[in-house]
Amino acid sequence: MNPRQLIHEKVNDKQLNKNLEYVMYQLQGNRKKLISERYGDWEALREEGKKVKQNALSRLPELLERFEKNATANGIKVHWSKDNDEANEIILNIAKENNINKILKGKSMASEEIGLNHYLEKKGIKAIETDLGEVIIQLIGEPPVHIVVPAIHKNRFEVGEIFEKHLHVERYTEIEDLNRVARTYLREEFHQLKMGLSGVNFAIADEGAIWLLENEGNGRMSTTVSDIHVAICGIEKVVESFDNAVLLNTLLIPSATGQSVTTYNNIITSPRKESDLDGPKEVHVVLLDNGRSGILSKKRYSASLRCIRCGTCMNHCPVYHKIGGHAYGATYPGPIGEVISPLLFGIDKYGYTLNLCSLCGNCAEVCPVKIPLTDMIRDLRNEKVKDNKDDILGINNLPKNNAERKNMEIFAEVATNPKKWQRLMWFIDKFAPFGKPFAPFINGLKQWTTCRAYPKMDASFHKKIKNMQGVKYE
Amino acid sequence: MKVYFFGTCIGSAAFSESLICSIKLLQHFGVEVIYKKDQTCCGQPSYNNGYYEETKKAALFNMQLFSEPYPVIVPSGSCAGMMMHDYITLFEGTEHENMAKEFSQRVYELSDFLHKELKVTLEDKGNPVKVTWHSNCHALRVAKSVSSSKALLKSLSNVELVELEKETTCCGFGGTFSVKEPEISKAMVESKLQDILNQKVEYLIAGDGGCLLNITGALEKINANVKTMYLYEFLAKRIGIA
Repeated sequence: MNPRQLIHEKVNDKQLNKNLEYVMYQLQGNRKKLISERYGDWEALREEGKKVKQNALSRLPELLERFEKNATANGIKVHWSKDNDEANEIILNIAKENNINKILKGKSMASEEIGLNHYLEKKGIKAIETDLGEVIIQLIGEPPVHIVVPAIHKNRFEVGEIFEKHLHVERYTEIEDLNRVARTYLREEFHQLKMGLSGVNFAIADEGAIWLLENEGNGRMSTTVSDIHVAICGIEKVVESFDNAVLLNTLLIPSATGQSVTTYNNIITSPRKESDLDGPKEVHVVLLDNGRSGILSKKRYSASLRCIRCGTCMNHCPVYHKIGGHAYGATYPGPIGEVISPLLFGIDKYGYTLNLCSLCGNCAEVCPVKIPLTDMIRDLRNEKVKDNKDDILGINNLPKNNAERKNMEIFAEVATNPKKWQRLMWFIDKFAPFGKPFAPFINGLKQWTTCRAYPKMDASFHKKIKNMQGVKYE
Repeated sequence: MKVYFFGTCIGSAAFSESLICSIKLLQHFGVEVIYKKDQTCCGQPSYNNGYYEETKKAALFNMQLFSEPYPVIVPSGSCAGMMMHDYITLFEGTEHENMAKEFSQRVYELSDFLHKELKVTLEDKGNPVKVTWHSNCHALRVAKSVSSSKALLKSLSNVELVELEKETTCCGFGGTFSVKEPEISKAMVESKLQDILNQKVEYLIAGDGGCLLNITGALEKINANVKTMYLYEFLAKRIGIA
């Protein structure tokens, strides 16, 4: 499906629209209330968070090596992967070496990014999601609609139907009942758990430890009950110290869900030690580059790697509210997705998503690490149309939009030529009132009048101001 | 005090009366207005689509036109934001960098100029009326002039300001966004209309031509009985100078 059709479908999905709008404003409200009541100086905290992440990014190779050294000393096996294929292969090999044909997953967007489930399935290994939202969408074969709340587009009635159809239970509509169904289903899977997979929120270089946040306990199950725990970690997740991670955590949770702390904080420092009664025997961390060092080398966009995946830019995006995450056709939707999807996976594939923004600036205003998302979206639009192409993945495969370019050249010409400008105003003043019958045939006006009356123009200003008393007309 | 007045493109094409009122307000509070007849547009249409080179031409044209060190008063947070913030970014590292910095620091959104610089007091001569207010995104987040606009509205003794539930959400205009993504823009303005209609007010007031064109057109299409008015026209009428 081409982007236009996909957007057309999603923007007209009334149920999706209703569900999303309701929850997104609730998340916005929770965040706002918590910040105003419990945080003395949220803005100063954002500034600190920005500095901590920027500092880590400026020393990324050094911190990654320190993480590797300390994690290895703790008994964690650290793997490096440059792309999807390498990361998938590393995980497959760990499974194969241990004769595993089923893995359980805590929530991980990096695993979505590399298409892990699909890859493993082709190799005969089943990857089962354990985050409730992920469970719901895995049952119906959909990708996450949001990076934090992956099934937020489905209300409880729809979830009841999904469980009825795919888990063969009665149709429930109450949250408690739905939770019980999911718990029963998952408990059965956890009993057989051998290999668990998770993402990483913070990789702490000084400690050689990883920190995972979650609310359901499925993450703790996946990482402690299993014999083998594999964590996929984008290389931008590394921070220097535990204190740094605490600061970012303090920013992340209110931004994401409006909670002050998640129900579970899993800080994993090593595999099971001799005296330990439980915990995995092996812990692996797969460090994933997959285009991130490419972004890091671009001055204009490196700050996008500060992202801590809280999703608040989506929660505050009026366009996202109307179309949902699937309309972006990418793993990462919403404002941050518009920036990183073209950069990570190609502007030829995801360049269209840059249109899905009215540049309202709400995302940048709330981003806990102050990524200038709006400016970056505009700058990426500039990449698409400028003459001297920068080294952006897929930039040379973009089709030229000659009509738009011509319009912009005409605009610049008229906006720098007073005579032409005044002639344009004169034309509007004279003829705009008679344009109504032609509106459906004039590009721009055609789209405009689909939901608006024909615009009432009044371009008599120039005429009037010439003779206005007291005005120095020069 | 002498100031330049920048009428904006949408203003001079669709809101002539509101621009006249803006000038009357300035004059009423003792300001001498200079109108440069050669002025055009701030450059947002090309800027927001990523055509930076084309935008620089329009921006440079304006900076050279408003060359005397007078304040440049703009009755729109969107255009003011562009001229006070984005011009600096555009010319960073170029030969016009200093010129952009000098120019930008004397650009004022009209509300800010009235409220913070002139510290005006408005004497409301109108009948009691209930209004709501729509914040333009760039006025709110770039020019940061919304608090002044609302302070002026609230200072009118016979005007009851009922705030929108989702006041800070974009109305769906976004310049060329409204015609490039018409379906999304439509969905956005429909939500805005719902919020406006829920407030049961006589007027929707806004300080930006783009949002006003969008919201007014959409209200008219559904024959809603809420009137819309440009902030400065409303203020001028309330104090009896228009």
